[in-house]
Amino acid sequence: MSFLEVFQYTRQDSIVHRLDPRAKLFMSIVLAVISLLFLSIIPLLIVLCFLIPIIGAAKSLRRWSRSMKGLSVLLIFIIVFNTLLSTHTHPFSHSLALTLRLVALMTSFSIFFLTVHPDELSQALIQMRVRFEFAFAMSMAMRYVPTLGQEAYAIMDAQKARGVELDKGNLLKRIRNIVPIIIPLIIVSIRRALSIAESMESRGFGAGEKRTYMNVLKFKKSDWAVVTISLITLILIVYLRLFIPLPTWLLWELAL
Amino acid sequence: MILLENVHFAYDGLYTALRGISLQIDDGERIAIVGSNGAGKTTLVKHLNGLLRPDQGRVILDGVDTKHYSVAELARQIGLVMQNPDHQLFLDSVEREVLFSLENLGYSKEEAKDRCERTLSSLGLEELSERSPFTLSGGERKRVALATVLATEPRVLSLDEPTIGQDARQKENLAKMLCELNDKGKAVIVVTHDIEFVIENFPRTIAMANGRIVADGTTNSVLSNDDVLERCSLTRPQLTETARHLHAVFPEVPERLTLMDDLEEVVMKVLGGR
Repeated sequence: MSFLEVFQYTRQDSIVHRLDPRAKLFMSIVLAVISLLFLSIIPLLIVLCFLIPIIGAAKSLRRWSRSMKGLSVLLIFIIVFNTLLSTHTHPFSHSLALTLRLVALMTSFSIFFLTVHPDELSQALIQMRVRFEFAFAMSMAMRYVPTLGQEAYAIMDAQKARGVELDKGNLLKRIRNIVPIIIPLIIVSIRRALSIAESMESRGFGAGEKRTYMNVLKFKKSDWAVVTISLITLILIVYLRLFIPLPTWLLWELAL
Repeated sequence: MILLENVHFAYDGLYTALRGISLQIDDGERIAIVGSNGAGKTTLVKHLNGLLRPDQGRVILDGVDTKHYSVAELARQIGLVMQNPDHQLFLDSVEREVLFSLENLGYSKEEAKDRCERTLSSLGLEELSERSPFTLSGGERKRVALATVLATEPRVLSLDEPTIGQDARQKENLAKMLCELNDKGKAVIVVTHDIEFVIENFPRTIAMANGRIVADGTTNSVLSNDDVLERCSLTRPQLTETARHLHAVFPEVPERLTLMDDLEEVVMKVLGGR
């Protein structure tokens, strides 16, 4: 699952990390929309040429390339099956473009998820008028994903110590072996959720309508700059796409 | 007999937990492992049954390196009860939970049934055998998890923090069970912070700090050593404290005492009896 790494927050100090999450969310959405506007190789490569330096600015190039390596099996799968099954005139070229689009989309969103701490995300949501309870629930969910992973490993250990052979036997046996892992995992999660809820209430969660926040997000000049540039780019590209026919070199296709 | 030779281990190759552990565990021993949080106690016992494999060094069971065995194979001989019982329990009755372990190890129906009943009754769980483990209290679940491993009667039984959440009577029952098992020639290893439990039941104590063994010897000598106690973040046992106070008044009472019988003897001597 190493390709998911690119959606996981990494603590780092970079220009991209310091941006306001709202500005980054906007930028990511704009980049994703742009990737969706094109379905030929050259424009998507150009989009990637803008995306990769941003990932570089977030000091996450290595993580990104590792994720893409992890994703390569899926990408090859997409290329092969699309080429075989497509009705397009140049099936290989078309599926290559599709794959590039997927990579561009993932990269666009990864800029957001790589650089936004769950707490920042919930604060951004709150300041975007999402109810505190929902925002909090969301950041909690993100916070507990790694914990759940650790828990799963601990459970596997505990069952192995009882003589459960997790990686032996035929497919049916292996599927049945999931039961001793999944049931404790669910039970432990429910128990923890209940005890977290109790401890939160004991600490005054939901005590009053109004609550204060330690860190309030503020738009800085750089954030305004990012939003403005993203907006102008978006308008420009949508205009180009809708009203001006693309020059032929942009629509170049492999003859396969 | 288990032999650990200069075992090193780091989680993810980064977070060093064991820095050269060498240790011999003979059949029929009762050993307590004490030490501060993060000293590497749990990491150490996980090496015994192969859940963790040493980065460096060897774990040898009866002359054979355990790297040749799977965890399931080792589980037959080396039982491990983990801290959190909820990581083990998944069936809908206490009895089936215990039987599951026995079935894994391939015991016949009658044998399994017999062992299950014996274990449940000795842990005071026979009344609960039809109940779902999830409806039990924390302490009861802990005992069920213990029963699931205990029933398999492994040659070496290691328990990680078994006394947490148990009242005094349950602790006594647990101690009795462990001693009975020990009388059958099985080795019992306990990781714990419960000093009194150690003093009363375990002749040998291994003290750990920072991934190393700082003391290994008779419980009396290890736990009456102030330097060891300090390094392992342990408080002095009450009896040793008492002995110190007595020593201040009666120099003939030794400072380093952990056992009630020893203290009783010297006090009687001081008082002119016997």
